[in-house]
Amino acid sequence: MDLKKEYRIKLVSKEFLNSDTCYLGFECPDIANTAVPGQFVNISAGTVFLKRPFGIASTDKEKGIFYIGVKVVGKGTSEISLFGIGTEVDCLGPLGNGFDFEDYDNVILTGGGTGVFPINFAYETLTAAGKNVTVCEGFRNASQVILNKPSYILTTDCGDCGIKGTVIAGLDTIDITDPSKTIVCCVGPIPMMKAVNAWASGKELKCLVSMEQRMACGAGICLCCTVKVKDDGPDGYKNVRCCKDGPVFDGKEVVW
Amino acid sequence: MVSSPLNVNVGNVSLKSPLILASGTCNFGRELAEYYDLSILGGISSKGLTIKPRAGNPGVRVAECDSGMLNSVGLQNPGVHYFIENDLDFMKQSGAGVIVNVAGHSFEDYIDMVTTLDPHKDKIDALEINLSCPNVKAGCMTIGSDPEAIKAITAKLRNLTDLPLWIKLTPNVTDIKATALAAQEGGADAVVLINTLMGMRIDIRTRRPVLTNNTGGYSGPAVKPVAIRMVAECSQVLDIPIVGCGGISDYKDVIEFMIAGASAVEIGTACLIHPALPVKITEDLDKYCSDNNIELKELTGTLQRW
Repeated sequence: MDLKKEYRIKLVSKEFLNSDTCYLGFECPDIANTAVPGQFVNISAGTVFLKRPFGIASTDKEKGIFYIGVKVVGKGTSEISLFGIGTEVDCLGPLGNGFDFEDYDNVILTGGGTGVFPINFAYETLTAAGKNVTVCEGFRNASQVILNKPSYILTTDCGDCGIKGTVIAGLDTIDITDPSKTIVCCVGPIPMMKAVNAWASGKELKCLVSMEQRMACGAGICLCCTVKVKDDGPDGYKNVRCCKDGPVFDGKEVVW
Repeated sequence: MVSSPLNVNVGNVSLKSPLILASGTCNFGRELAEYYDLSILGGISSKGLTIKPRAGNPGVRVAECDSGMLNSVGLQNPGVHYFIENDLDFMKQSGAGVIVNVAGHSFEDYIDMVTTLDPHKDKIDALEINLSCPNVKAGCMTIGSDPEAIKAITAKLRNLTDLPLWIKLTPNVTDIKATALAAQEGGADAVVLINTLMGMRIDIRTRRPVLTNNTGGYSGPAVKPVAIRMVAECSQVLDIPIVGCGGISDYKDVIEFMIAGASAVEIGTACLIHPALPVKITEDLDKYCSDNNIELKELTGTLQRW
């Protein structure tokens, strides 16, 4: 087995998708060639102490570039959003388990917020593999809509574009013909993933969710980013590592 | 063990290098073996273990700070019996020295732990008795703040095993010399200085602590001067060796700790950011020894006070 590395990666492209979110491309052939949808990278962010985790949004294997989306929410993400082209930073990745779609012909990808980035990577990978993919994304309002394609089902909380309501209103418009061959994958805020998991459960669909928790190492050694999952032991649950055992979990295993 | 200028001894424990992975920052080593060959290390100190499995603290467990971080993991661990079945052999086969970190809520817990581990002494180089975790409600730091309790528990454990006993102490005390001397008087083979400093961060929007446990242990480069001072102070009064710990990020930090009085060191938080950092530090220490024609162990306690 090849040893994992910490890479020195170089920013090669950057565009702002809206007022507070940018899309960054970093040169790193190893990560671009090996990453699978649902995995993430942990990137040094200027002057802050810890690295910051970002779901991989796309890869260009020919050019050896991977992409992430960064929404500015604090000092670390602000500093990353201000990186100039050519900036070099330390990076661990690809990290985490990723989505397993293997046994399913039909995949429903759903989510919102910065969850649309890993969904984008999953969409590109699945369509290239010839799977039947339906995407449903939810945003607060039209100004927040990013990476949306005309074929996607779009919802907004206020209804200023797409269907008015949450992603559940969008998911309800999907005609599910073969539940045993259909899987739902959701990446978004916890309340959204909880609701989507309940929706999928009601339709007897398997639902994978990509959990998020404050993270330190990203490598599974500090046990800071735990997620509560069901367990047969006396407590009825156990804490597992979001970064190493996840971030993707079966929605029915998560203690919501 | 191949002779090298990096070889050090902590009492009668010989280590190929002064670098030990600090408890709680390396789990049992398995994940870091994906990044580098652990056999370069002097040792690995296991995740803090208790008799029964512990789920650890709920909610947010990490809060970033300037030049460091707070954690409140709360000794999440699979329990010592699971460890012996599933992780101890891996640690032994890694080629690094095996340090088992022992935690508990009461004297009885520590006694149970040492009694349970002692039959496996052929796979263990030292027991690190954790009298210093700030993130649990009983035991650990509660015992480790009281010199009489430290002396008493160390003496009890001394009678139960021949394994080297390293007592890991908390910096959250008025006089670190008093707690270190208590460990020595109880029969400790070494002290490990220091565990994390207790701290808090507050979200000014919600006015709630960032950590769900309210408080946590502060680690990282910011705590290094506190740790260096405590190692230097204890070095003046102790006869037993010191393992230094707190904020080590490069080879110069290792040397600084050794000059202050440490025989070996533990590195932790820096590895959360750069998992393979010990590889670089080992190379740099090798170069330092070669450039200065020195063996690292010659540095211990060579502080020239003003």
